Amino acid sequence: MFGFYEIPLNIEKNGISISVEGEGGSLVYRRESPEGSVKKNILAKGGKLLINPVEPLIKPEELTPYFLVEFSKSVMIEPKAESKIYIKFPVEIGVFIAGERHYDILDCVTLMKQKLTLYGDASNGLICKYWLSDVYNSIPQAEPFHEGVIELNIINTTSRWIELTKAVFNAYGMKIYYGTDRVSMRANLRILGENFAEIDFIDAPIKSGMEKSLEHYTVRRMSVLTTKFVMEMGL
Amino acid sequence: MILNTVVYSTVTVMDLISVLFTLLFAIIIAKLITTNLRRTLKEKLSKEHLGILEKIINYSIIIFAFLSVLPVLGINTSGFLVAGGIIGIIIGFASQSIVGNMISGIFLMIERPVKIGNQVTIGDTSGFVEDINIMSTIIRTFDGLYVRIPNEKVFTNDITNLVVNVARRFEYVVGITYAGDADKAIGIIKKIIEEEPLALKNPEPAVFVDNLGDNAVNIIVRIWAPSTHWYGVKRKLLWIIKHTLEENGLEIAFPQSTVWFANEMKMRVND
Repeated sequence: MFGFYEIPLNIEKNGISISVEGEGGSLVYRRESPEGSVKKNILAKGGKLLINPVEPLIKPEELTPYFLVEFSKSVMIEPKAESKIYIKFPVEIGVFIAGERHYDILDCVTLMKQKLTLYGDASNGLICKYWLSDVYNSIPQAEPFHEGVIELNIINTTSRWIELTKAVFNAYGMKIYYGTDRVSMRANLRILGENFAEIDFIDAPIKSGMEKSLEHYTVRRMSVLTTKFVMEMGL
Repeated sequence: MILNTVVYSTVTVMDLISVLFTLLFAIIIAKLITTNLRRTLKEKLSKEHLGILEKIINYSIIIFAFLSVLPVLGINTSGFLVAGGIIGIIIGFASQSIVGNMISGIFLMIERPVKIGNQVTIGDTSGFVEDINIMSTIIRTFDGLYVRIPNEKVFTNDITNLVVNVARRFEYVVGITYAGDADKAIGIIKKIIEEEPLALKNPEPAVFVDNLGDNAVNIIVRIWAPSTHWYGVKRKLLWIIKHTLEENGLEIAFPQSTVWFANEMKMRVND
């Protein structure tokens, strides 16, 4: 389903149907999925649709740019060590409309459950999108319309054993890649203290031959101060 | 010497020069203070409010310096003091509330317990903060009314900022009948909360039997939600909880009375 499509189009896969058809002189976009249906009029003569995975933060609504993945089992990392783990994240599918080399998001759909959580306390904390993931030592199988895989390179710069129970990501730095069999991101998690770590994304696919996604926050051309996230309210 | 030359009365050229230097010095000091103040309060106050504060301080220093040099120029300020004192008392009484509001406004701008756009409760007024001026704070109530509250009242009243923290908790009391299964009801309510995206995973929601009431087993439901969306979540979930409990055969209790008669009731049936 991911990729470019010429208008008009009609595609159906994994319980999601997307169509753009001419109706009474204008174009009508329709999307039906388990979460509901969307209908929009498009005032254009033609163009293309780009469907690709986007940052998993648009659904249920854009409330926060932070994404917290809780590990189902905590990870202990030895002092001054570097290790790779794999975790999963929910895939959100962005539908972009393209015309005259400009893109804008038309719709976003997900087949996954959504949940929010609080990182830190109510007065100083952050609202984050929440996901519970198992921790894997090798790239796990994941259905690309449902879940993606994050390769997390953990670097413990401290001289103590550190227990890691979660990772918090900043959506502004997400670099998403997709292929026919998986959606992926790569990130470095640098532990700088017992309760202090820094996460930033790597702009590279998990395997060769994957396509780079057009991210929602990139399209919005927002000026951001940092793409990193500093976890300072607990690991 | 020219410096000792009398210009008028007993005022010499030297006196005039010292007056000029004092005023110049006062202007420089005022400029230094306002510049430092601007740097310090740049983040805390809006440009407009900072401008007003700068002007007040600037002119106060210059007026004070000007009054201090008047005796050097041979002008007796004791008359000013008496007249100024009387005028001051009159103005003081007349503008007591104005000055109070202004000072409260300055403190509100420095302390910033509320910001424009916040949802707040000040005294008996609840709504969105539309503007914070030097004299008053403007509130748009939840039912769309414009309320102007003098800053002195804002400063001395209890202020509840509903959105200053990112998350807040709300609570329901769900009463089910004594015949109902409270464990089953708790399980159903927890599942509803789990399925609601805007009900936070952490802090964990709490659902428990709080008390055995006169007419119902009272289950307390405590849910955390983002401060900006808590009211919508609160409105949405209660009705879903009520419906789902009823669909699962759990009745919401209401006050009932069982009446026992001491003597057997007799019934007459007319054909």
